[in-house]
Amino acid sequence: MPAGHGVRSRTRDLFSRPFRKKGYIPLTTYLRTYKIGDYVDIKVNGAVHKGMPHKFYHGRTGRVWNVTKRAIGVEINKQVGNRIIRKRIHVRVEHVQPSRCTEDLRLRKKKNDQLKAEAKARGEIISTKRQPEGPKPGFMVEGATLETVTPIPYDVVNDLKGGY
Amino acid sequence: MVYVKTQKTKAYFKRYQVKFKRRRQGKTDYRARIRLINQDKNKYNTPKYRFVVRFTNKDIIAQIISASIAGDLVLAAAYAHELPRYGLEVGLTNYAAAYCTGLLLARRVLKMLEMDEEYEGNVEATGEDFSVEPTESRRPFRALLDVGLVRTTTGNRVFGCLKGALDGGLDIPHSDKRFAGFSKDDKQLDAEVHRKYIFGGHVASYMRMLMEDEPEKYQTHFSEYIKRGIEPDDMEGLYKKVHAAIRADPTMVKSAKEPPKEHKRYNLRKLTYEERKAKLIDRLNALNARAQDDADEDEDDDE
Repeated sequence: MPAGHGVRSRTRDLFSRPFRKKGYIPLTTYLRTYKIGDYVDIKVNGAVHKGMPHKFYHGRTGRVWNVTKRAIGVEINKQVGNRIIRKRIHVRVEHVQPSRCTEDLRLRKKKNDQLKAEAKARGEIISTKRQPEGPKPGFMVEGATLETVTPIPYDVVNDLKGGY
Repeated sequence: MVYVKTQKTKAYFKRYQVKFKRRRQGKTDYRARIRLINQDKNKYNTPKYRFVVRFTNKDIIAQIISASIAGDLVLAAAYAHELPRYGLEVGLTNYAAAYCTGLLLARRVLKMLEMDEEYEGNVEATGEDFSVEPTESRRPFRALLDVGLVRTTTGNRVFGCLKGALDGGLDIPHSDKRFAGFSKDDKQLDAEVHRKYIFGGHVASYMRMLMEDEPEKYQTHFSEYIKRGIEPDDMEGLYKKVHAAIRADPTMVKSAKEPPKEHKRYNLRKLTYEERKAKLIDRLNALNARAQDDADEDEDDDE
């Protein structure tokens, strides 16, 4: 009998619910709001059969471009052949989580604004640029003893003692 | 000890998935909750209010609640134990009291949102099906009925509370199929019967019946009514006055009692390690002393 390449083929483990997390899904998934331009992760919830994306999109991150009654339009990049296409899919909210990819940036922006405001109050000019990790500073080695090692002249008898 | 084969092995416990906490406590119906809370995504943060009605053995709780990730927020609440303030002191969990509580909550919410002039609702309770008409300026306050785990049979008190809220001026989608007085054969709501229930007519007729047939039972059953001198014929007038009082001043009054500084303890405090060891030593000493006494007695007897 041939293999079959249906929409949900090869998703036996991918779409299955994790151990001891089956049944009703927690309500925060329904209470979250999404705005256009937000980044979201797609993670398929096998308990909800409607509005499931194709297995390719599981684990991808995209931006929201549309918000409807129960679903969200997400724009995701997909490589097709030799180019990357921006694909627009609609996914129900149960299969979507807010992405934390921009969280670091948002926190840094907030902190930088705060630092700049403080510096302005003090009248200094500061740079809020991130610096890459430089080389480690020099240090003195403590508690080291010096042992001078010299070669000894070659001794045939000693070497052949092993066995011949 | 007979060898009993363990039914619940270690493997059973390892694989057991607990239900949600509130389901384990038997308090929340998640299937209904999901459907009540789910708000259209293209309405973003607009709150979706539920009109929650719960009955305890001695009280009725009616609340308007909106859901949030941190926890549900209560917009307004009304309890049956507030009704003595409006003149109703007995029968705080019957159909008529439920109507009063729903009415109180509705007027309270509308007053809080300054919509009470616009939406009077049904001032005279007739028992007919009444829905709020939207006025030109603002749309009516909309909430969805949340009954909890109650079996929704015709004539249930939650629908009495619902009727109170509807007559108070809230917009709650409903049908008259489950109001008291709806007959399944006609498929029609008998407004007269419903009105009787709203004004405690069913309680009054039971009082009259007991007064005639079993006066002793009447004395025990309705002792509080008798103490306050409430006759079956007074019931309607009493409830009319309560409705008017509720409409006059529905604001909430905070109780003057201060919360107790130290909470009363309802279960035993757990003993510390030292206390448990000390208890064991005391028990062993008592046992030894008793064994010693028995041994002495036996010796005396033997001698």
